[in-house]
Amino acid sequence: MALLKAAFTVLTSALLLVQTPRASEYQVKAVFLFNFAQFVEWPAVAAPDPQMPVIIGILGEDPLGTFLDETVRGERLGLRPFEIRRYRELTDITACNILFISRSESERVAEILAALGKRPILTVSDGDDFAKRGGMIQFVNDKNRIRLRINLEAAQAANVTISSKLLRVAEIVRTPRP
Amino acid sequence: MSPRRTLFLLVVLAVSAPPARAQQRDSIEALKHLTLDQLMNIDVMSVSLRPQRLFETPSAIQVITQDDIRASGATSLPEALRLASNLQVAQVDARQWAISARGFNGTTANKLLVLIDGRTVYTPLFSGVFWDVQDVLLSDVDRIEVISGPGATLWGANAVNGVINVITKDAKDTGGLLVTGGGGTELRGLGSARYGGGLGAHGNYRIYGKAFSRDPTLLSNGQAAPDGWHMGQGGFRLDWDAPDSNRLSLHGDWYDGRIAQASPGHIGVSGGNVMAKWAHPFSARSNLTVQAYYDRTHRDIPGTFGEDLDIYDIDLQHRTVVGTRHDVVWGFGYRLINDRVVNTAALAFLPPHVARQWFSAFAQDEIALASDRLHVTLGTKIEHNDYTGFEIQPSGRVNWTFSPSRTLWAGISRAVRTPSRIDRELYAPGQPPYFLAGGPGFRSETELAYELGYRHQEGALVLAFAGFYSRYRGLRSLEQVNPPKPTPIVIANGQDGESYGGEATASYRITDDWQVHAGYTELRIHIWPNPGSTDTSRGTAESHTPNRQLSLRSSLRLGAQWSVDGGFRYLAEIANQQLPAYAELDARLSWRPVAALELSVAGRNLLHEHHAEFGTPAARRDIERGVYGMAQWHY
Repeated sequence: MALLKAAFTVLTSALLLVQTPRASEYQVKAVFLFNFAQFVEWPAVAAPDPQMPVIIGILGEDPLGTFLDETVRGERLGLRPFEIRRYRELTDITACNILFISRSESERVAEILAALGKRPILTVSDGDDFAKRGGMIQFVNDKNRIRLRINLEAAQAANVTISSKLLRVAEIVRTPRP
Repeated sequence: MSPRRTLFLLVVLAVSAPPARAQQRDSIEALKHLTLDQLMNIDVMSVSLRPQRLFETPSAIQVITQDDIRASGATSLPEALRLASNLQVAQVDARQWAISARGFNGTTANKLLVLIDGRTVYTPLFSGVFWDVQDVLLSDVDRIEVISGPGATLWGANAVNGVINVITKDAKDTGGLLVTGGGGTELRGLGSARYGGGLGAHGNYRIYGKAFSRDPTLLSNGQAAPDGWHMGQGGFRLDWDAPDSNRLSLHGDWYDGRIAQASPGHIGVSGGNVMAKWAHPFSARSNLTVQAYYDRTHRDIPGTFGEDLDIYDIDLQHRTVVGTRHDVVWGFGYRLINDRVVNTAALAFLPPHVARQWFSAFAQDEIALASDRLHVTLGTKIEHNDYTGFEIQPSGRVNWTFSPSRTLWAGISRAVRTPSRIDRELYAPGQPPYFLAGGPGFRSETELAYELGYRHQEGALVLAFAGFYSRYRGLRSLEQVNPPKPTPIVIANGQDGESYGGEATASYRITDDWQVHAGYTELRIHIWPNPGSTDTSRGTAESHTPNRQLSLRSSLRLGAQWSVDGGFRYLAEIANQQLPAYAELDARLSWRPVAALELSVAGRNLLHEHHAEFGTPAARRDIERGVYGMAQWHY
């Protein structure tokens, strides 16, 4: 009986608590990754079948846990469901629309991007200088906020079209020419 | 209405709480509604509650997805549970199933905790599950998590050898009208309808109803057994996502059924439950969930016994990150049962009417070591019950994700199976002189389990392996009161035992449209009498389990309209029932001419005209081959 009363007190006091909206870093990044699908167009070859899943891949050590899985569960882009794949090696990457490259792969970003070449895959990472090194979208932690940095040339080179709505909220950078 | 009940109803009406994972989803749902601008203005915290991927879980877990259930053609929860190869599943007759993990199987198997949306469904009568009344609309199931091995620290008593967690979809994900109808042999007829929609700006609801009728099984002489049955069930679910990310959900189910039996009269079953859950994230580092439910069951087996059972249950769980390394979960629970048995000439529960309560509290800390790759989880549950007082169930686990695709885990746990009414209060016949005179001294059975597991993902291939050794003390025995006089006997803890084995699964995606899955379990159980015990059964009454089982599944999509699925299973003999080994095949063909309509034909147990899965030669029933057709329309 005492326990029940204690539970009830905790509940009612909890209900009265005021809170500010805060979220975990990778929760927000997962939602960004999901949103990107709606602001990007791939060439028709990337999805010959209108019901083919939109594949979001994660390369390297996965910091997203189930956040990304939870985000895309039950969601569709038109007729296309979403699917999450986790890759250890570059050679595992077959069909893929959006590729999140983990910070664990920072040291070999150049090698990864070179291997992907002009394949129509939207590359995303939160590794340092990812966009300047030829990646398409970089998450930048600015104090407690997440900003986007986009390398438009890199996207264009792979025939990936990024909507102006996304470009508007991002900082556009170029790959420095030697 | 008593004050206790009034307070309880208040709590039920005021609050509610899903497992931690569901909470995670709530905040994600809220984030998904934001614009890019808003998303960029969210404050983020880098050290926060991070939901664990199953791949990293330090226990032997298998997940049955909605796709798996649909492809299997399963029409009941026990049929769907066959998809988890770490479970032993045997159909006993038309309505009864023996389901367990890591052995100790039987129709009154008592070492498994089964939850449907957080509601415990094992009965305090015998710590097992009446599978005939555990039903859900299978198309509303999101997933079924099956953990083999002890889960007592987090989940509580009875999670000695495993946990089955059935999780249905959020009301938001079950919009529109879904009508299903079909029938055939064995499953004579099945019909269901579900409708879901929005409720105000932040709420969603669904209501459903279903009914089925099943054919009897066969007696050993080839005649139909008197066990045909039919049942109806209905229910609802409301989910409300408040804009400030509070989340409330309320759901309930009602059922009523009639089952034929050999003695005069019909078995009547009916019941219902209502549950409220409330989840409140304080921040990305801390959240609270509370759930409360009321569950009522009625069962009348003319000539054997009758029961009316009320269960009241409330659980509170708080999860928080402490510092940069500690992910702490703690909580407490309270459970009250009010059980009234109608005794018969055949058997009696004495006293016939009992009220019992359980208090529990638990705490668990997952400590991140070595750059998030190595986690140590320490925790314990402390429980108080009216039979044996305090029980402590600690566990320690380690998981080491030494590369993104490889995880090694290990655990040591203590778990207890506390007494249920059948262990202490069962007398037979219903009047003295008794042949069986209860179990006045029955204590808890205890287990100490050692586990080791490995998971590996290599491209489209996923492998998992778990090995275990468990030592049991004080297993249930039947003791002669005045040996060598054979009767009367009492229930006691005169046996010890051990079990060991391994569970392996492999999934491979051959192409985007073709997936295959294999599961294999090898298992040994030894039970022996302790000095002074007069029980010479060597555990024959406690475990009916094959030494090995194998399952193979294939799921193939042919274009946008057709799919072909098959599942093969082999189970070795159950030696102490002289039940021969058997192999069976289920298959399903589905055609979706338009997006809204799916037509399918499914065959179950196709390899033999009939076969037996459980029971001694005299008592066993044969399960017949079954074929049914089904149409499903989603608008």
